[in-house]
Amino acid sequence: MKPMLNTVGKSAFRVDAREKVTGKALYPSDIVMDGMVYGCTLRSEKPSAEITVDKSAALAYPGVLAVLTAEDVPGANHHGVLFKDHEVFSSGRIRSIGEPVAFVVAETAAIARQAVKLVKVEYKILPAVFDPREAMQSDAPLLHGDSNILYHYKLRRGDVEKAFEVCDVIVENHYETSMVDHAFLQPEAGVAYMEEDGTVVILVATQYPHFDREEIAEALGLSQEKVRVITTAVGGAFGGREDITVQIHLAMAAMKLMRPVKTVYTREESFLAHSKRHPMYIKCRTGAKKDGTLYAMEAEIIGDAGAHASWAINILRKAGVHMTGPYVIPNVKVDSYAVYTNNPFTGAMRGFGAAQVPIAYEQQMDEIARKLNINPLELRLKNCFRAGSLTATGQLLEESVPLERTLRAAAQAISRSGEEAPLKAGKKRGKGIAAIFYGTGYGNGFPDVSRAAAELTEEGKVRVFAGATEVGQGAKTVLSQIAAEALEVSLSDVVLVCEDTRLTPDSGTAAASRQTYNTGNGIRIACEKLRIELQAFTAEVSEAQGNLLKHISLKDLYQAAIAKGRLLRSEAAFTARTSRMDDETGQGAPYWPYTFAAYGVEVEVDIETGKTDVLKAVCAQDVGRAVNPVLVEGQIEGGFAMGMSWTLHEELGLEEGRIKNRNFSKYIIPTALDMPEIESIIVEDPETSAPYGAKGIGEPVMLAAMPAILNAICDATGARITRLPASPQEIVKAMYGKERKAL
Amino acid sequence: MLLELHVNERLHSLEVPDDMRLLDVLREKLGLTGTKEGCGEGECGACTVIMDGLAVNACLVLAAQARDKHILTIEGLEKNNELDQLQQSFIKNGAVQCGFCTPGMIMSAKALLMRNPHPNEAEIRNAIAGNLCRCTGYAKIVEAIKEAAEQ
Repeated sequence: MKPMLNTVGKSAFRVDAREKVTGKALYPSDIVMDGMVYGCTLRSEKPSAEITVDKSAALAYPGVLAVLTAEDVPGANHHGVLFKDHEVFSSGRIRSIGEPVAFVVAETAAIARQAVKLVKVEYKILPAVFDPREAMQSDAPLLHGDSNILYHYKLRRGDVEKAFEVCDVIVENHYETSMVDHAFLQPEAGVAYMEEDGTVVILVATQYPHFDREEIAEALGLSQEKVRVITTAVGGAFGGREDITVQIHLAMAAMKLMRPVKTVYTREESFLAHSKRHPMYIKCRTGAKKDGTLYAMEAEIIGDAGAHASWAINILRKAGVHMTGPYVIPNVKVDSYAVYTNNPFTGAMRGFGAAQVPIAYEQQMDEIARKLNINPLELRLKNCFRAGSLTATGQLLEESVPLERTLRAAAQAISRSGEEAPLKAGKKRGKGIAAIFYGTGYGNGFPDVSRAAAELTEEGKVRVFAGATEVGQGAKTVLSQIAAEALEVSLSDVVLVCEDTRLTPDSGTAAASRQTYNTGNGIRIACEKLRIELQAFTAEVSEAQGNLLKHISLKDLYQAAIAKGRLLRSEAAFTARTSRMDDETGQGAPYWPYTFAAYGVEVEVDIETGKTDVLKAVCAQDVGRAVNPVLVEGQIEGGFAMGMSWTLHEELGLEEGRIKNRNFSKYIIPTALDMPEIESIIVEDPETSAPYGAKGIGEPVMLAAMPAILNAICDATGARITRLPASPQEIVKAMYGKERKAL
Repeated sequence: MLLELHVNERLHSLEVPDDMRLLDVLREKLGLTGTKEGCGEGECGACTVIMDGLAVNACLVLAAQARDKHILTIEGLEKNNELDQLQQSFIKNGAVQCGFCTPGMIMSAKALLMRNPHPNEAEIRNAIAGNLCRCTGYAKIVEAIKEAAEQ
């Protein structure tokens, strides 16, 4: 039975839409301050070297105010989300192209750009390694410490060797995924300035202001109270704003010069500065019984971490945990490795390791179905997770597992819809489906806490505080809706403050699809507490007036509270369920909740050129409960676009660690002309522990796109694509066995 | 050089460097930061403005080329506190996510509707083909433009 909900479940207009359609929303590059000066970053041009830096000529250039290098870092010359293995400025050893060497600050941006060319860097070239499989060898050049393998996740369940012996069908293949970029539209930028009490303020587009504050404080040698991070409007993130870019450089310059300092990256520098998606090399073998029951899987995943760890451990762990797909397999052995190379560093990107593995497991599902002559949908239904299933880590899926519904909905919709135009000569059409699951949150026992506060204001509204960033996903709207629901007030009576570390509690990062679930819960609890307090206080006020009062407005209630010297305010924290997995077996309950999806796709392939068009996509997405259905659809449509583009086009062309295509004329993302019709099917199955049942979907919406398209290409052509992107030449090679032409 | 141009129906007389781009004239000289820079080479369309009725990438237009021209930017759409039909439609249809492409997207759509008040879907998609959006997959943007055209 559906509870009575007033605000949750309605497609309220975005609370940030008006300022965005009028051009009034301020992104960091839009901010101008009196006396502002400009910074420009010098970055390494070699992938592995020792450097010496001579900044004298740049410093002498007219208009230059400072040239900051490693020697100028007041605190610790490092940062990093897991290991502190990024340097603020290189102290001598370069491990990849693009590492910051110096930050030149000048009276104008033009002078800073000019002067940065005068910083002399001498490179003594060192050996380098660019393939993670080579980097794992004992004779490979080392990047950090005594091994390039920075993490090995082991998942062990049942007896894989014995299990394969009794399988009736076994499929086996190698898969490779490409390195890709987030390509958010707003290049990195920021402004820093000093407040009178010595606090340094950084205005920046980030995913996690509170963590930035910690990292900035450590590098500047300041206490966290002396660092204030204010989140501006954020022009897309997708994981690419998790790691520090402009923040520390700007703060250092503002502190040194006591003037506001701004920097804006060019698109090319943006490609150099932030993380990339981990390319993965996946060997996978899956076995099933004659009747289609999955029985064994063995996989090895090697992820290229590039030169710095960033989130590599969590990402390769997430890949390993999700390797089986959303299917019950009693015997599983997975080894996943994160490996340093001299490539650009890789990190968080939508899907976070759970995005690469479906390319392997969902193609193997179709292969098993083909070998056993079972319908691909039937095979999936036979094995798919349901409430009560155990995952390969031994985790019990207690509830909200509507995978079967998503599968049936996607399969039905794609089977009845079909391109009606007659097929032209030289073209083939095919359909494919794929299913995925995704575990929300940091995972593996890492404390996953979202704090929130709510208070009654003089205007009779409720101000809600949460340090959750609006990166475009709609957090500000969805969290406001949750607050309004819990407070039993209208959406317009809620004012969500989420931009300033001085005002807001830490609500964790805008990543891991965790804000709706985690921070939504924190806000729900805080607002329910406040509502109860308001009701109690209303009764108190009413009683004092002889219970004659029929209604008291929130505005009057505020005045009554002030008269009594009371502040009507509540605070709450929500901690997600997660436990640390066993180091040797990977057994445990790493994430909660899980979100499910199944997509169906129809493609048309030109059998001469291999060019593939997606004609239609149906996306059945589990959301627990849709807080805002239009925003959910927006996520699905955008997620499918990103997944489709990765499947068919996107790849950073790397040559000895150098990105060749670092602009939008060579790094192609989809336009309005490339998109097919997308039919969103929202599947609801409320999760008890979630705010009004709502689970996060920011990442899950992308994951089924890739394998659904690849399965459709195979259906059309018979060709199995095992290396992304499924470019025309890759498809031609798979169809005819021709050698792939060099890029 | 001295530059005279009309921006959002106001005549401006400005002293600007010879090599300045229209984008910088708008953002830096006039403080109209609603026009965004996403790539600086005419690939992303975030800086789209309307110049004498045509959608142009302001990053590819030199200030001198805008002399005496009539420029319309996102800031010029709202009249007497009332949003343009397109702006309203973008809000209603959920066509906005991160918002960085939004001003340029709306200006491309505006230029389309100025010359073709009743475009079909293919014409809409063509008109915004030079505007990249990484968030939405374009579906709701196309819907929003369709709905605005029907008003």
